[in-house]
Amino acid sequence: MQFEHVTCPHCGILCDDLIIEANESSLKPLNVDHPQCTRGFTEASFDSANPPSAKIDGKNVSLDEAINKAAEILQSSSQPLVNGLIADVQACREAVALTEKIGGVIDHANGKFIRANIAVLQRMGKVKTTLAEVRNRADHIIIFGAEVLDRFPRLLDRILSPQKSLGTKNTTNKTITIIDSQAQQDASKSFDQTNINYLRLDTPSLESVIQTLQSIIQSPDQEMEQECETAKTLKGIYQKILESQYTTIIWSTSLLDTDTAEQTVQTITLSIKTLMKEIRCVGLPLGGSKGEITASQVATWQTGVPLPVAYMSGTPIHDPVLYNGSTMLENNEADSLVWISTYSADDVPPKTNIPTIVLGHPNMQVSKQTAVFIPVGIPGIDARGLACRTDSVATLPLQKIRSNDLPVASDVLNKISEML
Amino acid sequence: MAIKLTGGEIYDPAHQVDGKKQDLYIVDGKVTHELPDNEKITETHDLSGCIVMAGAIDLHTHIGGGKVNIARTMMLEDEHAHPHHGTHVCRSGNGHIVPSTFSTGYRYAEMGYTACFEPAVLPVNARQAHMEMADTPMVDKGGYVLLGNDDFLLSMLQKNVSQSAINDYVAWILDASQCIGIKVVNAGGVHAFKYNQRRLDVDESGPAGITPREIINKLSRAVHELGVSHPLHVHASNLGIPGNFKSTLATMAAADGLPIHLTHIQFHSYGTEGDYKFSSAACEIAEAINAQPNVTADVGQIMFGQTITTSGDTMMQYFGHEHAHPKKWTVMDIECEMGCGVIPFKYRDKSFVNALQWAIGLEIFLQVNDPWRVFLTTDHPNGAPFTSYPHLIKLLMNRSFRNDAFSIIHEDAQKMSNLASMDREYSLYEIAIMTRAAPAKILGLTSQGHLGKGASANITVYRKQDDVEQMFAKPTLVFKNGTLIVRDGEVIEVVTGVTHVVKPEYDMGVEKSLSKYFDDYQTISLPNFKISTDEMIECIGSEVEVHPCTPK
Repeated sequence: MQFEHVTCPHCGILCDDLIIEANESSLKPLNVDHPQCTRGFTEASFDSANPPSAKIDGKNVSLDEAINKAAEILQSSSQPLVNGLIADVQACREAVALTEKIGGVIDHANGKFIRANIAVLQRMGKVKTTLAEVRNRADHIIIFGAEVLDRFPRLLDRILSPQKSLGTKNTTNKTITIIDSQAQQDASKSFDQTNINYLRLDTPSLESVIQTLQSIIQSPDQEMEQECETAKTLKGIYQKILESQYTTIIWSTSLLDTDTAEQTVQTITLSIKTLMKEIRCVGLPLGGSKGEITASQVATWQTGVPLPVAYMSGTPIHDPVLYNGSTMLENNEADSLVWISTYSADDVPPKTNIPTIVLGHPNMQVSKQTAVFIPVGIPGIDARGLACRTDSVATLPLQKIRSNDLPVASDVLNKISEML
Repeated sequence: MAIKLTGGEIYDPAHQVDGKKQDLYIVDGKVTHELPDNEKITETHDLSGCIVMAGAIDLHTHIGGGKVNIARTMMLEDEHAHPHHGTHVCRSGNGHIVPSTFSTGYRYAEMGYTACFEPAVLPVNARQAHMEMADTPMVDKGGYVLLGNDDFLLSMLQKNVSQSAINDYVAWILDASQCIGIKVVNAGGVHAFKYNQRRLDVDESGPAGITPREIINKLSRAVHELGVSHPLHVHASNLGIPGNFKSTLATMAAADGLPIHLTHIQFHSYGTEGDYKFSSAACEIAEAINAQPNVTADVGQIMFGQTITTSGDTMMQYFGHEHAHPKKWTVMDIECEMGCGVIPFKYRDKSFVNALQWAIGLEIFLQVNDPWRVFLTTDHPNGAPFTSYPHLIKLLMNRSFRNDAFSIIHEDAQKMSNLASMDREYSLYEIAIMTRAAPAKILGLTSQGHLGKGASANITVYRKQDDVEQMFAKPTLVFKNGTLIVRDGEVIEVVTGVTHVVKPEYDMGVEKSLSKYFDDYQTISLPNFKISTDEMIECIGSEVEVHPCTPK
């Protein structure tokens, strides 16, 4: 059976044009071939005669027994952490409800990658755009880090190199400048389109490129101390920004140096806001490959604050330093872990000595020390769902394209909550 | 099983009941005036000394969608400064200015509101808006979907397509986005801003060669001809600009006598008189409303204090960003449909402009003669959070209270306003019109906003007090569909409202050109863009109530 307009939740772009051939034993994407786009479907199959079972300490049990055990663990836990959240809207809604009930902390597995953008939004705001605006309005694209295009495999084809656009020939055939520093591998051989200008600048890091460009934007007439090749090149890019109708600056926070990402995103935002005084220039931060945009949106509307959220005081509190999920685990600050990871078998829970409850992809292999493992349906394959796109604007439906008896993550979370 | 409400003074303007003592019964979630033969009374509430009104309806409040989440994120200080503990029935939450969804529902119910309408649903963001509203308990919801800056409509106007083709597109977008009305924000201006145009007047052509007047004209006609109850909901051009009352009058005229609703009209009622070149044009605007029965307006009253402005009007939000307090601002271009701007703002009574804005809002309330055509809003949270409604009601009902408040605002603003000379005091009956009967009527909610036989039993009971602010802030009882949900201003039972929508008929042939547009230019496929009713129920989490349209 063929399903059309299937949404792929395996990167933040959420392409929804997939055609999937589904039969009893396999799911095969027919119109995409990049492994990152196909794996989620080709690796979703399991032996229907021997479906994955819920487990307690590695031993098969019934779903009800697993739910009872999960509730028992959480009941006796004084500092539970709900983490992963690699899931759809419905599961995230129930995960927030469960965290509230158990007075725990909730965070996303990729929480640290969304912190920088949120912190800058809180401090200075942002100037952003969405995918269709880039596709139709942008005539000039600057990408910080060629790896962005590996992380978002169809960005170039679907958005940056459209067959048609609502604008002019310049918006269809955009000028694309991709900038790497010496810290990145040379990716020049990856790009053969004539409209792509790949630059690997003689600077130690992308951060220094972004900082230098900001200095030029802030004081364009100022002579640089050392008018090096990099500065000359970046002055050329600045000039191109001034000449363009709608420049879009693209980056992925997860590819920036984590320690300085917040400063770097702030620098980009400041550059854009300075340019906005006279011309149009916008940002497009890319992320959400593990559903972190979805989780962040749900938590924000339900609690009023972004992830991570702590409920120990009885009300939701956001503190990205105190309640960073992975740091809490490293510092032994949690005494139980609920790990929700529904899209990929690879996203296993971090190694920890505390009792761990996993609501996982049906093909996930967890260690025998995992206190409770409950295989759940994959949103977009086994269950309908909703997911939020990288631009935090579009929400896409996830289709159910096969039938089986796997429970839905949100139902399982709800049942655990009801037992507490 | 019947609930008897006895001895209360009923204010039900839809049936011209003005404070008459009358018993009401609730049977199967509906209001009746006589106990049916086969029913037994299981519960009686003695409402002696109480005022009884239908549940209130807010027809313009930003409670869902991406811009609200941006506002929540930007106002972390406010969220943490106002934590809400959960109770045995309520979820916890945060926030005074832009509360979390659960808290929004509880606060509205605690003030006796039973329905709220989100006025800025972006088509591409409609799922999120509906999800946030689905997570807003207690009240019914609905949305107005945004058109008038979308490239598809502008290209239709460029091609000079027939009115019926535009009608089909308007009906289709209402269906696809599960909304109850159409909203226009700065017609064509948000689109023009994407081309770096910083201002667009009503008769000026934007980059698409179309004027705001043409957009308003075609859309108001489409809404009218489709028989959608709620008139085109218009955020006019030039928000916040001194002298903008002229473009507001031009916008009214653009509807050619067809129904048009001007929203947060206070922000569009400014003149250029005086030393500050900023003055009140409330009189001109009120006169225009009084003279044109096709025009309705909500006020968008400001209150002094910290808030955050969330708007689709990127052009004018960017214009105002230098006044941000604290100094941060967000502007977004969105998906060839719209945009959004989110800017925190602190209105100060000692600022001339802010003080006059406050007075202008009240002047409009007091000078529009017909309470059926002017609505009580603060454009939450843009003028003030919705929780300031009881204070606003007191300003309208109590002249001496109003004049005391007026006497402490910026002195130059006092000199530029004739507010102190206005004797009018709104009556309870008029408050019931503008917060119940009129919004229900203008939205086509036939079973809401009144207490006639067969009405949904959304009932708010206030214990009479001299201080109407106290009275309206804390009703003694609130029923939603017959369930007692609030007692003495506190939620005692949590219920879920429905989403009100309209589904005007249209020629499905419109999808042929839309499919091509989506395939050629959009980043979402047309089937995934549309929200089905079963998706509303199963995934988004809200039942849908469809209201009829009567095509003209």
